[in-house]
Amino acid sequence: MLKKIITLIIIQFSFPSTLIAKELNVFACEPEWKSLVEEIGGEKVKAISATHAKQDPHYIRARPSLISKIRRADLIFCSGAGLEVGWMPILIQKAKAEVQPGSIGYLMASKYTPIIDIPKSIDRGHGDIHPEGNPHVHLDPNNIPIIAKELYRRLVIIDPINKSYYNSRYNNFISRWDKSLLEWEKEIQDIKGKNIVIHHKSFDYMFYWMGLNEVAALEIKPGIPPTAAHLNDILQTVNKDTVDLIVVSPYDPPKGATWLSNKTKIPFVILPYTIGGNEESNNLFALFDSSIKILQDALYYK
Amino acid sequence: MYIYKIIASFILTLFVFTKFVVADELEDRVKELEEKIAKMESSDGNNSLSTSTKTKIYGNEFNPSIGIILNGKYNNFSMKSAEPAVKGFVIGHEGERGREGLQLGESELNFSSNIDDKFYGSMTAAIVKEDGEDKVELEEAYLMTTPNFNFPDGMSLKAGKAFWTLGYMNEHHVHADDFANRPLPYRVYLNKSWNDEGAEITYTLPTDYYAEIGAGMFRGDDYPIKGGDGESVGAMSAFARIGGDIDQDQNWRMGLYYVDGDNSGGRAGNDGDNTFKGDSSLYVTDFRYSYAPTGNVREQELTLQGEFFARNEDGTYDDIVFNGTSYGWYAQSVYKFNSRWRGGLRYSQMETAGVPTGLIGTNMDGEGFDPTSIAIMTDWTNSEFSRVRWQINQDKLASGSTDNQFTVQYIISIGAHGAHKF
Repeated sequence: MLKKIITLIIIQFSFPSTLIAKELNVFACEPEWKSLVEEIGGEKVKAISATHAKQDPHYIRARPSLISKIRRADLIFCSGAGLEVGWMPILIQKAKAEVQPGSIGYLMASKYTPIIDIPKSIDRGHGDIHPEGNPHVHLDPNNIPIIAKELYRRLVIIDPINKSYYNSRYNNFISRWDKSLLEWEKEIQDIKGKNIVIHHKSFDYMFYWMGLNEVAALEIKPGIPPTAAHLNDILQTVNKDTVDLIVVSPYDPPKGATWLSNKTKIPFVILPYTIGGNEESNNLFALFDSSIKILQDALYYK
Repeated sequence: MYIYKIIASFILTLFVFTKFVVADELEDRVKELEEKIAKMESSDGNNSLSTSTKTKIYGNEFNPSIGIILNGKYNNFSMKSAEPAVKGFVIGHEGERGREGLQLGESELNFSSNIDDKFYGSMTAAIVKEDGEDKVELEEAYLMTTPNFNFPDGMSLKAGKAFWTLGYMNEHHVHADDFANRPLPYRVYLNKSWNDEGAEITYTLPTDYYAEIGAGMFRGDDYPIKGGDGESVGAMSAFARIGGDIDQDQNWRMGLYYVDGDNSGGRAGNDGDNTFKGDSSLYVTDFRYSYAPTGNVREQELTLQGEFFARNEDGTYDDIVFNGTSYGWYAQSVYKFNSRWRGGLRYSQMETAGVPTGLIGTNMDGEGFDPTSIAIMTDWTNSEFSRVRWQINQDKLASGSTDNQFTVQYIISIGAHGAHKF
């Protein structure tokens, strides 16, 4: 063990890390950013995601393996806007100077997109709110090209040798995305104006884009889990005629939603939320394909 | 809205005339700007879409983050007379069971901020009631180098007063603990926690799994040493620890830690009896495993945690030559049933060192008795910022003495949203 550690230290000091690194190490906080970086970086990047679809990205632990991963990262790619505030500050202390906040290697997607749900007043009495606004920016498909462009710009600066490689993959991605976006825009026309009950404000960007209305949330307040009393209150205000669907993410506990659905006969669905959120959603295109299909099936053909 | 267009066209004109910027890039920018304007115009009225997040009110921007921890409790002890000393050990004030009845615990005030690009600073003060008086105890006051400091990647220096790297629990503030009190080895060897004055350097290795090593030097004026002469380095430390994932929902960490120091000034217990002078070496090993059955630690989580301590003292107790090794350990498991409720069980035990004839009959004489403590707790967490805990302890600290304790405790956190250490 000791020998191994000493050898590793010697290796570290003998070679600058750029000589050993064959591919760019990307530390993505969420699966959607890992997927986007793979779309543009291809085989020139080695991306990991700190969270998976079953985890609530607000609340993970700064576990040991994440320290070793962020320690070697050449690019940190996250949602920002306070989503990772419970664990990122501890991890970032162990990362390189090149990926510290404000540097090229530190990319927060929400800095480049329009932000919704910015609270007018900030008080913890309103729950665990994000003063910066809603961080779940990847769920508006219009945001993806904006973020992809910034990511492409950063990749070229960090790894200029592969500029033409990134360029062709970026252009290819954008043209495919634009094409899909046109199709999606057509598909969501059918479900516009429907009323939805959510668990947490995870889907605001998607619903805003789709023209769906959020009428109630199962969480008492953001970050404060539902109670039986609160669910009973919701039961008084919603019924089959006023609400079309209950939507939760793969990491929300389904208990409250199932209960409300049984009582009211309002259908309830789990939207994938991110890559890996269901079997179909294995990339960003499939994530939107699958989300739209689930909503269409539940709302349009209802 | 039109002001944006005017500005955009002004910038465009300027750049065209100066012929300075590549046309492509400019077009992109104008397009982006126009898209944004279009978006803002289309979103007028029924929603809160806004691009105004980037404007901030300056003035308080450079104030440090401020966090406040308040905690209060009610203690009920079955043993109404004074708590017996932990048989075979001489312990400090913080290691005792505390007061009975309704009371305020430690009220903590924390300020922290980046100092500049190369340093981070933090201070935590606790206001506590001791002997009927409110006292301010400085828990932490340190600076730490940021990764922008010109150390090799992964290296960091911390200097000042801090909860130094030793075992699992020492680095954590008491309010983050899973139980209302600390296990026996922490109470006996560390007087609850080790936060001496000094400096520590750590290095995270660039390996696939987590591996970190570190070493420090300290004044030697706090448990486990205490009573350093203050002239030279009173204590030294070293540690190594590793960790990793078993799969995406299970992870582990383990470490080895060592602190050694010489105290010519003498370390007396809270009651002033049996003063130790000499060399104390403390060896600690810790292990922690956590498992999230659904993947989401917010909903359900199981943690198993244990630490083993061995202390060798080579010197004198009350001028009687003493060389002995004692041991202490604890093991605990906490299970989170759902997002609000957790339950936990902890067992801790001490094993005393044999004493020379001169110390027979004193507090240091364990008489072959091993002090134990059992704790059972359940707690309710409303949000990340508030928690209420119920705990039952059974302490058997001396032969024939059983103290059943009941505690209700609240812990709340106000202000800056501190990130949680693993």
